[in-house]
Parts: sequence; C-alpha cells; structure tokens
Amino acid sequence: MVELRAIRHRYADRLVLDLEQFSVPRAGALAIVGHNGSGKSTLLRLLALLETPTEGQVFFDGALVPCRARASLRRRVTLVEQRPILFRGTVRENLEFGLDVRGIAGSAANGIIGDVVERLGLQPLLDRRRHELSDGEVQRVAVARALALRPDVLLLDEPASSADRAAAGALYRALAAERAARPFAVCIASHQLEDAYRWTDDIRALAEGRLSPVTPENLFRVELPAGDGLKGIQIGQVDLFVMTDRSGPAVLAVPPTDIFVSKEPLPSSARNVLSGRVTGMSIEHRGAGVQIRADVGGVELVAAVTAEATRDLALGPGSPVVFSFKATAVRVF
Amino acid sequence: MEFLAEGFARAWDLLVRGDAEVYGIALLTLRVAVLATFVACAIGLPLGYFLATRRFWGRRAALTVVNTALAFPTVVVGLLLYGMLSRRGPLGGLGWLYTWQAIVVGDVLLALPIAAALSAAAIQGVDPRIRRTAETLGAGPWRTAWTVTREARFALAAVITAAFGQVVAEIGAAMIVGGNIRGSTRTLTTSVALFTSQGDFGMALALGLVLLAMALVVNIALQVLQGRGSG
Repeated sequence: MVELRAIRHRYADRLVLDLEQFSVPRAGALAIVGHNGSGKSTLLRLLALLETPTEGQVFFDGALVPCRARASLRRRVTLVEQRPILFRGTVRENLEFGLDVRGIAGSAANGIIGDVVERLGLQPLLDRRRHELSDGEVQRVAVARALALRPDVLLLDEPASSADRAAAGALYRALAAERAARPFAVCIASHQLEDAYRWTDDIRALAEGRLSPVTPENLFRVELPAGDGLKGIQIGQVDLFVMTDRSGPAVLAVPPTDIFVSKEPLPSSARNVLSGRVTGMSIEHRGAGVQIRADVGGVELVAAVTAEATRDLALGPGSPVVFSFKATAVRVF
Repeated sequence: MEFLAEGFARAWDLLVRGDAEVYGIALLTLRVAVLATFVACAIGLPLGYFLATRRFWGRRAALTVVNTALAFPTVVVGLLLYGMLSRRGPLGGLGWLYTWQAIVVGDVLLALPIAAALSAAAIQGVDPRIRRTAETLGAGPWRTAWTVTREARFALAAVITAAFGQVVAEIGAAMIVGGNIRGSTRTLTTSVALFTSQGDFGMALALGLVLLAMALVVNIALQVLQGRGSG
C-alpha cells in the first residue's frame, strides 16, 4: 500500500533513517518495534507522506509520490502521533475536522462520529475541550479522529503509551473491530512487544534508523501444543522449553537480560541450555552492556551481559558459548 | 505650575467643546492608522506565516532582514520614501508626496516588519504537531494555514495591535512625506510637534491626550486579548 525504497533521511546532516525497502501491505497489520530514538516516529511520518525523504522514493498504491504529496493522496493515510494534540475546540469539533475537510457534514458526519464515539467509549467527552482531558483521553480522541476518516492506511505511534493496560486493550479491541468491519492497513510503532504481537501480523525491528535483522527480544512464532505446564517446542534444531497453559499460535520471547552466558554448560535449574558459537557482539545503544549474538543450533539468540562479563569470559566472534535460561523466563504472547 | 494648569484647562476645553480641528486631526490619524495597519497586516501576516513554516534557501537571511527592519528609524523610512515620491523620484508620477496616501505608504513600510517578524514568531510558537495533525487529517495548504493561525490567534491579535500602536505613534515618516499640512496631512503626532513649537501648549496637550487615549485603548485591548489567550 505504502512503500519506501532506498530511503536515506537526514535531519541537519544526521542520518536518522537508512532503509533499502519498507512497505505496509494492503490491509495488513504491521508493528515497528525499537528503542526510543530508533527512527520509528520518523519512519511513520514518511509513511504518512508528511515528510519527504532526503533521498529515496515513496510509492503509494504502486504510484510514485511526488515531492510534496497532494492533500488528496494524504487523505488516504492518517497518522496518530505518539503524543497527539487536539485542536482548539471541543472533542466533537476535533472529530469533525477531517470529515469537514472531505466535505462530509450534517447527518453523514454525525453517523460516522457516532460510530467511532461508541467504539471508543467517548460519549462523555464529546463536549469537553482539550485542557479538560487526560493524556490517555486525548490519545483515544486522536485515534477516534483518525478512525472516523476511514483511511486506507492508519499509522499509530505508540497509541497506548498514555493509557493504562485496560484502556490500551480497549483501544486495540476497537481497532480490531473496525478492521473486521472494514479492512485497512495498520502500522503500529510500539515498544510494547506484547501489543505488537497480539494485534499485528508482522513485526519489523528498527535500530538506529536501520531495519534490524533480529528483533531485539529473541522472538519466535510457534504453534503451542495443548496442555498445561512445561512444553518443549522445536525451533530450528533446538527444543525450547516454556511454561504456559496457552495453546495454538503464539509468539515466544526470551528477554536477552534473562540469558546466562557461559563458556561451558553449567549445572543449574535452567531448562534451556543451548550451545553454539558467537556470531557477533555489539555495544548496546544505551548503557555499558554488550549484546552477544550467537547461533545455537540454527537459531539466532541475543543475550545482554555487562562489558566486564564479556571480558572475563574472553568472548569474541566465533568463540564457543552456552546460553542458559529458565523455562519460566520465556514470555508467551 | 500655572502654565501647566492653563495648558490642561485649555486642552480640556478643546476636547469637551468638540473642537473641529482637534477631532479632524484625530479622525485623519485614525483613518491613516487603520488603513496602514490593515495593509501592513494583510501583507505581513501571510509573509510571517510563510517565513515561519516554509524551509527555503535564504530563509534565515530573510528573517534577519525582517527583524532588523523592526528597528528601522522612522525618519529614515520617511526620507527614503520622500526620495521615491518626490517629483524627480521613481514614484513621483503618482503625485502622492504631501498627501495622506503618502503617510499610509510610510506607515505600511514601518508596520510591515512588525507584522511579519512578530507573526512569524507567533506562528513558530504554535506546536508543530498542530500543522502535522491538520495535514495528516487531510487538510490542504489553506486549511492547514487557517488551523495553525487559529491556534495563534491571540498572539496574532497582539501583533495587529502592536502594528497599530507603531503606526499611530510614529512621527518621522508622517512629518517628512505628509508635510504636516493643515486639514489634509496633519496627524496627531505631527501636530503635537507643531503646536508645541508654536507655543500653543494647550492645543498640543489636547492632541496629546487624544493620542494617549488611543494608545490606552489599544493597550487595554491587547491586555484583554492576552488575558484570554493565557486562560
């Protein structure tokens, strides 16, 4: 639906995005995960046709988007920013804005607004002004304002960052209901992997403006067998042990900080003891940690350790390494 | 002290009696100021919006020029305009020298930098998310500009008030290109200067009080607007 090709985007000579190819498929649900400052918001602004990339091309529906996208094109894609802002006026006036721009008024507009208001439970807020709303409420109104426009592509930047878990769940359920009624593409930037996996079909990880080949938290899409308790799931040539009573399709995540790194297998309670070789090491974006990537039986895992531990273990690319973690450390989404 | 008291008494008498000359000068001043403010803001506000929102080559230089023009001495503007409008000047054919139109042109030149620079600052003060949000909700360039302007409306009202204040209180340009001709180009400021030099302190004081009243009304309006803006 929207596709970026050979994008290099700079702010004052600083390269903030460097992507060979990135696309949001028609009616697909995509999540972008990454640290703060990884370029997620910039990527969304490019996809929303709000900024023109310093280098590269943007395609919408297969057609090249000109330098300054026309309003008619921009009307097919809507972005809700991480900290959305409401215009002066009431919540209702905010919900009417985009419809008014499209020449939709009167009973047609009221019908559309009524629908989104009901879906997102905004009825009590309709006559309030922006300073009378909490951050979470502003976020819900902003999502409703975008949904009311029925865009072909909806881009959401951390849509639940100001909401509590219950409110976030309600927001995502409303989105899912809307998509069930009318398929459209959704792209969500989130640092909440749980949200990303529960509500989208695909995840791309972004690190320092580049697509990262490995998602940061060792994610695996699996089919969980029925039953309770400890389950062994084959991934590549290794069995991953996980404690869960869930069954069916799920995503497993192994937090890099929960992995013990050693040169040889250690006697411990960890159910998962995986031997392999170090394939790469990198200093973490923030802090003094080191990320150690290793190939363990055809599966790539990332562990986070301190720089001191890396030195003590004398680890380097190609070194034999053992990753251990408890079955209870594996998170299930 | 007696001199001052006499001056005030005569000024009061002129104002209460509705002296035709005093009110004629006040009306001309008002007409010139309103027209010049309107023209300066009609050009300056869109210019300010453009400078604040568009990225183009030379933008910084343009902003510097506009900001520097804020401090342009009124007599220098008057002098340059005199050169343009005088019979041998490039605009001499208009025959506007020593007419109220010439004062309007001078005042527009003085108020334009205020309108442009201060409105650019006002628009820059609007949260950038407002513009992006308007655009992502599908607004075209005009609707986006209107939405951003609405957010800055109190600051922009203050800009218009400041432009009016500059125009109504300046003397240099009005004196040089208007010529201070009785009944046609005599404004409040130029006539205050004239009557003071002629020793008619009461008349000058009456005109000064009218000018003060105008400035007061403008300032009260500004404060009311700012008060509402912060609320």
